[in-house]
Amino acid sequence: MAKYIVSSSPHITSNTTTQKIMLDVIIALIPATIAAFLIYGLYPIFIMILSVGCAVTAEWLFNLITKRPQSVKDLSAIVTGMILALNLPPVVPFYVPMVGSFFAIIIVKMLFGGIGRNFANPALTARIFLVLCWAGVMTKFVYPIDLSNGMNLFSYFENVVNINLPVEITSATPLAGVKEAIEKMAKGEIVNPAAGLNALDMFLGRIGGSAGEVSTLAILIGALYLLIKRVIDWKIPVLYIGSVVVFTAIFFANSPYVGEYVWTYLLGGGLMFGAFFMATDYATSPKAPLAVCIYGVGLGLLTVIFRKFGSMNEGVSFAILLMNVVTPLLEKLVPCTFGAKSKWETNGKKIAEWFKKVFSKKQKSEEKEAQNG
Amino acid sequence: MALKTFRRGVHPPASKFTKNVPLEDFPVPDKVYISLSQHIGAPAKPIVNVGDYVFEGQKVGEAGGFVSAPVFSSVSGTVKRIVKLPTAIGQMVDHIEIENDFKYEKSYLPKLENPTKEEILARVKDAGIVGMGGATFPTHVKLSPKDPVDTLIINGAECEPYITCDYRLFVEHAHDVVEGTKLLMKALGVEKGYIAIENNKPEAIKIMQEAANGGVEIVPLKTKYPQGAEKQIIYAVTKRVVPAGGLPAQVGCVVSNTHTAYSVAKAVYEGEPLYRRAMTVSGDGVEKAGNYWVRGGIPFSFIYDTLRGEVPECMTNKVISGGPMMGFAQADLRPVTAKGSSSLLFLSHKLFSEVEPTQCINCGRCINHCPMKLLPRDFERAVVKKDFERAEKLGVMNCIECGSCAFVCPAKRPLVQAIRLAKKEIRSKGRK
Repeated sequence: MAKYIVSSSPHITSNTTTQKIMLDVIIALIPATIAAFLIYGLYPIFIMILSVGCAVTAEWLFNLITKRPQSVKDLSAIVTGMILALNLPPVVPFYVPMVGSFFAIIIVKMLFGGIGRNFANPALTARIFLVLCWAGVMTKFVYPIDLSNGMNLFSYFENVVNINLPVEITSATPLAGVKEAIEKMAKGEIVNPAAGLNALDMFLGRIGGSAGEVSTLAILIGALYLLIKRVIDWKIPVLYIGSVVVFTAIFFANSPYVGEYVWTYLLGGGLMFGAFFMATDYATSPKAPLAVCIYGVGLGLLTVIFRKFGSMNEGVSFAILLMNVVTPLLEKLVPCTFGAKSKWETNGKKIAEWFKKVFSKKQKSEEKEAQNG
Repeated sequence: MALKTFRRGVHPPASKFTKNVPLEDFPVPDKVYISLSQHIGAPAKPIVNVGDYVFEGQKVGEAGGFVSAPVFSSVSGTVKRIVKLPTAIGQMVDHIEIENDFKYEKSYLPKLENPTKEEILARVKDAGIVGMGGATFPTHVKLSPKDPVDTLIINGAECEPYITCDYRLFVEHAHDVVEGTKLLMKALGVEKGYIAIENNKPEAIKIMQEAANGGVEIVPLKTKYPQGAEKQIIYAVTKRVVPAGGLPAQVGCVVSNTHTAYSVAKAVYEGEPLYRRAMTVSGDGVEKAGNYWVRGGIPFSFIYDTLRGEVPECMTNKVISGGPMMGFAQADLRPVTAKGSSSLLFLSHKLFSEVEPTQCINCGRCINHCPMKLLPRDFERAVVKKDFERAEKLGVMNCIECGSCAFVCPAKRPLVQAIRLAKKEIRSKGRK
């Protein structure tokens, strides 16, 4: 008699796999990678190769040593490596991405149980780690290469081991200008934070900044791909970016340049990249609708607070890290089962009853007092 | 206007290959095995003896309680013995073996004209009519709700892939389905009767709209799984929400199946008890996939041998009774057709998933697609830790086991399977 396979239903599954999702993210990161190449030449690509190579090696070695099933082929290590490289300044010494990748994969991801179990976004935590280790390198950003000025695609390779970038090639980021304006505002001077900035240059990415974060256009192309493929949901990025706009408007309401603050904050730093590629990280973002709202708005609020009141120009990575840590707590806000009474409803009724009780007691005692009196 | 539907859910491939194959009578083997447990509830009690001669449509087992239904011989012939055979859901149940004399001498119930409410109810009970979508809940119990009802919904969503028997009923027997719906409405004393059909069956919607009369309304629904789940279809059609753990009657609704409506019409107007049904046989393991009128008690092996044709036996690697989302995989072909056999699928490795589960990546797809707004991810985590109390607290008992979560899971986690285990553990604990 023929032998048939017996298993529990469902007998068919969608063809989405972890690997395909990760491949989609890799595809979505390619526009930002191309933008980094066009703006800064081959150096960021070299950094990305190092970063991805180390991330994959780290995961492979960890699984080998701890005798865990090999998980490299789910491609998530490549994603982590790419995101880390795109998060770094365009020119950093070669060992910086290597250390960052090892830290991201071993410490943040694998030690907590591998894919899906990490408490914070690995690439982002590694970036913060690197900022703390090499604050000088991690906060210096070079100018976009200018081919008419005798630079070529191999420019910046002379700084491959150089921990102190020559001053003449370092550029100020738009957010540094904004920070200056804020500091001057505190002293009572009113300065345009967008002075010398061109919105089109910022949109295309011809500014100083992290390799993959500068070109808003490239990020939006990648993000659109992820949204169409339904790899990420629109809610977190939209809530995040929207609340940054709202909170910037609120926090800078007393400045005549509030509009300039809003668009420099939108286009100037790591907001777009963080909102679409890091805040949406599966393992570290909540799933229930209410939790997602709190998460998105919290990100926006923290980002603006860090940027305005913090000592650093940038606040996206710290905001995301903080909200990542809050996520397990937010996950307790479970959605209300279809057909079940929502907690708001039952608790609201309870509160109403309690008020009634207290009120009637008061009334009774008053009546009694009136009778006694 | 946006089509009516429920929230969340998934889109499995329709795979309705047998859509345009008209219903035809399926050949009958020498021996049929009438299962005494073709419904949810107490098994029927045999009322014939070995050696008795029985007619086609004669009652051979009477209802074993209120939530039970009688069973009928599907052929005329001699009762040989009572044997234990596995059913399609894997229970060992007594079956009455009847040797077919191929005379098909009928013994039907008397025909009714203009029946009263009580007469319809009595006939539904006497004709052994059960919910024919697969759950096989006795229909007369459903027609006696504890709460006042005002709406009847005939579930023609047929949201499971492959299955097309309800579609063929709409196309070929629209009149009977509408008449059956009207009878059910009368039995319930309701004014509104909806026949809900997914919009991937435009032909059925058109034919039914022409046939509809007397308070019966055709409701096109968006094609989405599990559109045919009871609570989901009630929400889609009426926007009423059945309370968690509650019954449809609590929101004034009764949901019945297309085939049930058809069978009610047959039972009332022609006196035909429920012993045959329309069934879809599909998959790449058989050559003559199609829609058939099958009598009860035909072994799956006979169906396979009749329809296999030239396709080699190694092309059948999984046999599913029911649809691929919620159906039951068969270990062998001993089970027989019964009242709930809506389809039988013979699938090769190509057509079903065999994937190793990998680590959960916490993407939340299971949560975002759950039509009951549950947390399959958290259920599975609790079950892996054997923490069934936590699973219960999180509401695992509200799961309708539609399989949407396991369908969308990119890590291919066995989510529904874990939920079933949790439910079983919680139920057995409750009984102690």
